[in-house]
Amino acid sequence: MTLDKICSEETVNDLLDRLTLRQLHLMEEKMCRELNIESNINNGCFNLAKSRYIMGQAAVSKERLPTEASSEFSALTRCETIEEDGEMKLKIVENDTNTVNPMHWFGVLVPQNLHKAKNIFQNALNFIVECANIQIQIQENVKNIDVLKRYKVMLNP
Amino acid sequence: MALQAAVKGKLISVIGDEDTCVGFLLGGIGEINKNRHPNFMVVDKNTPVSEIEDCFKRFTKRDDIDIILINQNIAELIRHVIDAHVAPVPSVLEIPSKDHPYDASKDSILRRAKGMFNPEDLSMFGAENYST
Repeated sequence: MTLDKICSEETVNDLLDRLTLRQLHLMEEKMCRELNIESNINNGCFNLAKSRYIMGQAAVSKERLPTEASSEFSALTRCETIEEDGEMKLKIVENDTNTVNPMHWFGVLVPQNLHKAKNIFQNALNFIVECANIQIQIQENVKNIDVLKRYKVMLNP
Repeated sequence: MALQAAVKGKLISVIGDEDTCVGFLLGGIGEINKNRHPNFMVVDKNTPVSEIEDCFKRFTKRDDIDIILINQNIAELIRHVIDAHVAPVPSVLEIPSKDHPYDASKDSILRRAKGMFNPEDLSMFGAENYST
C-alpha cells in the first residue's frame, strides 16, 4: 500500500492546521518565559548592584570569578535529559560531587542582597530550562510541518 | 574516572556581560573541568567578535553542554553562527540583559518558527480562500 492511500489530502491539511496552531501556542509560551527570565535578570542585577554599593566596585565583579588557573570543580546545578511522553525534555538536577560554594568567591560575610541575587538567578534557571524545552518542541514542530508540506506537494504534483 | 561517573547531568554554559555571568555563576552553573576549560565567557566592549564566535563554536562542540545561554545583544554580533546552529542539543537560548530588553523579532528560533507563516506557505493551507 502506498503512502497516499493511507493519508488523504484532507488528513494532511488537518494535521498541518493542528501543527500550525501548536506552533503559535509554543511561540507565545516561549515569549512569556523570556519575559519571566527578563524580570528575574533585572531583579538579580538590581541586587548585585546593591551588593556592589555595600562591598565596593571590585568586590562583585568578573575579577572574582574562577579562571583557567583555578582548581577543577563541578557545577552545582546541571541539567539532565529525560524522555517524557516520547518527547526529549531537560530537567534541572543538583550535583554535590566536587563542588564549591560560589558565594565564597565574593567573601565570607557577604550582604543579604548577594544571597537574594543568588536565589533570583537560581529561580531564573528554572524558567531557562522550561524555555529550552519549549524551544526543542518548536524545532521538532518546524521539522514535522516541513515534512508534511513536502508530502502534500507529493500528493498534488 | 569514578568522579566523572558520579557527576550526573550536563552543563548550562553562559556567554554574557559581567552581571549576567556573575549572576548565573552565583546561581551555581559555573564549572572548570579537568582540562581547565570554563563553561562561561564574560564579554565586555573590548572583546573581539572572533573570540565570541570561537567560544560559541567551542561550546557547541563540547558534548557535556546541554544549554548555551547568550545575551541577545551579543548574539546579534554572531547572528550568522547562531543561525547556522540547527541541532536541538545544545539548545541555544537568547536571554535579555539589564541594558537590552528581550526582542522577539531578533530571536533565531522564533524567526525560524515564523518563517513558515510567509504568504506563499500560508496559501498551502488555503489562506487564499479567506482573503478579503
